[in-house]
Amino acid sequence: MTLWRLEWLRLVRTRRLLALTGVYVFFGFVGPLTARYLPQILERFGGDQMQVVVPDPVPADGIAQFSANATQIGLLVAVVVAAGALTMGALGEMAVFLRTRVASPARLLLPRYVVAAGAGAAAFALGSMVAWYETAVLLGGVPAGGMAAGTALGMLYLAFAAAVAAAVGSRFDGVLSTVLGALVALLVLPLLGLVGPVGRWLPSHLVGAQTDLVSGGDVAGYLGSAAVTAAVSALLLWAAVRRTGTREW
Amino acid sequence: MIEAAGLVKAYGETRALDGVDLAVPAGSVFGLVGPNGAGKTTLLSILAGLRTPTGGTVTIGAGPSEVAVLPDTPRFDPWLTGREVVALAAALAGAPGGVEEALADAGLDEAAGRRVGGYSRGMLQRLGIAATVVGRPRVMLLDEPASALDPAGRREVLDLVRRSRGEATVVFSSHILADVQEVSDHLGILHRGRMLLQGEAGGLLEGRVEPAYVVRFRRGRDAAASALAALPWVQEAAPSGDLDLRVRVSSAAAAEEGLVAALASSGAAVVSIRPEAPSLEDLFLEVTS
Ligand SMILES: Nc1ncnc2c1ncn2[C@@H]1O[C@H](COP(=O)(O)OP(=O)(O)O)[C@@H](O)[C@H]1O
Ligand SMILES: [Mg+2]
Repeated sequence: MTLWRLEWLRLVRTRRLLALTGVYVFFGFVGPLTARYLPQILERFGGDQMQVVVPDPVPADGIAQFSANATQIGLLVAVVVAAGALTMGALGEMAVFLRTRVASPARLLLPRYVVAAGAGAAAFALGSMVAWYETAVLLGGVPAGGMAAGTALGMLYLAFAAAVAAAVGSRFDGVLSTVLGALVALLVLPLLGLVGPVGRWLPSHLVGAQTDLVSGGDVAGYLGSAAVTAAVSALLLWAAVRRTGTREW
Repeated sequence: MIEAAGLVKAYGETRALDGVDLAVPAGSVFGLVGPNGAGKTTLLSILAGLRTPTGGTVTIGAGPSEVAVLPDTPRFDPWLTGREVVALAAALAGAPGGVEEALADAGLDEAAGRRVGGYSRGMLQRLGIAATVVGRPRVMLLDEPASALDPAGRREVLDLVRRSRGEATVVFSSHILADVQEVSDHLGILHRGRMLLQGEAGGLLEGRVEPAYVVRFRRGRDAAASALAALPWVQEAAPSGDLDLRVRVSSAAAAEEGLVAALASSGAAVVSIRPEAPSLEDLFLEVTS
């Protein structure tokens, strides 16, 4: 039994892994399906009164549908899972048990962060593969290179979201407060992007990468924000470790 | 082994600790006794490194993996089994082994495979104890380890604390003086953030609180009372209730040698004799007056 296995058991026994993969795989399945049949669906519900004009779906629409859901509801689930493992004040006496037995708070936090962030990123990757395959079947192929790069950037963004949850969670006493705090941070941050050209350097720029890169976007346009995201994530984790080391239990 | 000097912990206006000095020799069992709110949990948390003192210093002659802390209400992730909790504690202590033995010692061998979410308060306390002793820590800090348990469980915990004497340095807190007296070789009495008294258990209370015995009679109480009152080492023999006589003595040793004989020769029918444990309140009155 190690701290790593503890985190794995948390994912499996509390069904968090099931929830994460379930959500992403569901959207991976439903996204391309919706894109493919949207014209028919609208036509059917539009009836006689309304004439709905929808352009014929192209392959990139399948990925775009998946990505839109994955970056909203999927992100929410990923943040909840990360907050559940990383809200230090909510650990109560379990924290006393663990904290007093490890020399550094980093040893306590690292497995929690890596497993939570890794599970979110892996579930997103799985959902992306489902969406990619189904899009190929229903709508035609999308470029594999762009899809892989876009998925990798999406995974990086989820790792960043988990780092935000870690930093917020090291200060809060309740999982719900951490979830809300992290979501506010993740939603407010993109507003900075409204100021001129700052937006393409922010982590939130990565949210649209998957859709963009399967529709002919250039991966070079994301390297800057990817570097910033990685650096900010590392900084947030450092802050979380520091705060965990000085907090009172 | 454990030393602290001038510890102060302020929470706003309240001073949970107000200049506490502490010296716990290696291998000893140090009983920290005080009423609720005295600062016991605060002191143990500072020793454990869980809280930072507002002032003062702490030295502990052991690394983090050699110190085990038992919080006052142990709680673990509910989806772990008891066995997994103890195995995790053993792994963190760097001594993966002795898990089954620790579980059995704590009386949890049957429940070890069940999730701790279904454990009762007493079982959680036992599990906490198993997780504390499993890595053979050099220092154990136990916050009210016996409080949540039934009399049998309390007995077991106190025995366990007693057994670790010499193997580990133990600091354990309690609000029950009798528990602490029973198993500690060193005592510290904490009251409103101040250490009123501390030192070796034997000498510390001697002369502070007069020993007393409670004798229960079937018949012949009054005759026995006057016979006892005439003895030089008896301070007072006062009836209490319908059946009891409370005998205050000047020396426990004299009473141990002479009380039974004196009762026998008075011709009374005696049901029981028990030493009266001095209460914490008596002790505080005595020490603070
Ligand atoms: N985190 C805290 N915030 C504010 N006051 C506290 C805190 N912890 C303890 N106290 C206060 O410090 C005093 C000592 O508390 P504690 O150490 O828990 O006593 P004990 O364990 O002996 O019952 C109490 O008056 C308590 O209210
Ligand atoms: Mg307490």
